[in-house]
Amino acid sequence: MELFGIFFAAFLINNILLIRFIALCSFFGVSTKLDTSVGMSSAVIFVMTISSAISWILYHFILAPFHLEFLRTATFILVIAGLVQLEELYLKKMIPHLYRAMGIYLPLITTNCAILAVAFLAIDYRYNFLQAMVYSLGVSFGYSLAIVLFAYIRERMALAPIPKWFQGYPIAFITAALMSLAFLGFTGMFGL
Amino acid sequence: MFTLILSIFVLGILGFVFAALLGYAADYFKLEEDPRLQAIIKILPGTNCGACGSASCHNFAERLIKGEVQVSGCVAGGAEVAEKLAKFMGVEGLVVHKKLAIIHCGATEKQRKKKANYNGVKTCQAADLVDDGGLFCAYACLGYGDCYCVCPFDAIRMHEGLPIIGRDKCTACGKCVEACPRKIISLRLFAKPYVIACSSRDPGAYVRKICPVGCIACKICEKEAPELFKVIDNLAVIDYTISDIDGDKAVEKCPTKCILKF
Repeated sequence: MELFGIFFAAFLINNILLIRFIALCSFFGVSTKLDTSVGMSSAVIFVMTISSAISWILYHFILAPFHLEFLRTATFILVIAGLVQLEELYLKKMIPHLYRAMGIYLPLITTNCAILAVAFLAIDYRYNFLQAMVYSLGVSFGYSLAIVLFAYIRERMALAPIPKWFQGYPIAFITAALMSLAFLGFTGMFGL
Repeated sequence: MFTLILSIFVLGILGFVFAALLGYAADYFKLEEDPRLQAIIKILPGTNCGACGSASCHNFAERLIKGEVQVSGCVAGGAEVAEKLAKFMGVEGLVVHKKLAIIHCGATEKQRKKKANYNGVKTCQAADLVDDGGLFCAYACLGYGDCYCVCPFDAIRMHEGLPIIGRDKCTACGKCVEACPRKIISLRLFAKPYVIACSSRDPGAYVRKICPVGCIACKICEKEAPELFKVIDNLAVIDYTISDIDGDKAVEKCPTKCILKF
């Protein structure tokens, strides 16, 4: 039940895109089409889970014992960048289908702030390893949910008669704000 | 001090571990690549201009190996690259003409007659939308240099409000042709030395009033070299399929000097 709570809180109540406003660049950048947003979210789920696992282990077994907590930003960036490269090499050789499906989004994730944020938050919340894993899964699924929903809306908006001065990013920001308001409605659910 | 050394040590070790891991992985997960690919990429200009229809030079090289594109497909590289590629791929009997972008307007900024002062955004795209950019001639170069801005090869320079195309730098990628809102730039074969520096389809009497160097459709060039020049829709047109006919006399006799010889 506690794990479910962590997952659900990360998934909906503290949705990383719509409530925390982290990783907005990719939220607006790749949500113009449904298939690009699906590609991006699959890459995020993949990288976020693995990188938060590695960074949790590094933090608790190397940085914390030596009292080098202040190094975590540099260390985590190193971990994420290295890991993305490694995964790219691995996928290219072993699972070319998945590699082609993720395409450009895999290297793009290196600079995605959501990945770094999750690695930090899992430590700030003092989660144990299992909890951290469930948390990062919840965040990445929440990311996917928000970006896919947003892509559906933006595909419709491309055809809608929007006034010229609202076309493009202005209407996208307004829509995101309305979606964010809707997600605020989850606050307080299950006493979370 | 101890913390400093320790942190350098820990980060150093971590960096080293990741570097070693990546180095090992790069070797372990190495993909067999066609050895020709890198050689072809070296021959290509590497500007990724996309004029050939492929997404990048890398993409073009891949498709060339698969046989989906021709060795002469690289527009930016022109004859030189095509020759090298043909040699490399073992293709023979290839003739490639060098194409060039040509601007069909010869009126400098002072020669263009204005009916209004245009004070808007200084791009051709914007000026063209507002009553022909304040010019009488609807076919004249607007002179704000949209073509100059898009040229990826630095081949265009602006001189007295007219773009001038550097023949050795132009690769006929077609970016300027797309960028020109008046559609007065075209790609022509370099083998033909004549160019009509006017695009006006207005009647001759009107052109004479508004432009000192416009084509007035007097048909003198047509009389001098009927095979080479044709006046269609009040504008002289060169038949670029004929190359051996001498049109120098027509160039000389053109009353407004709108036929240029290179």
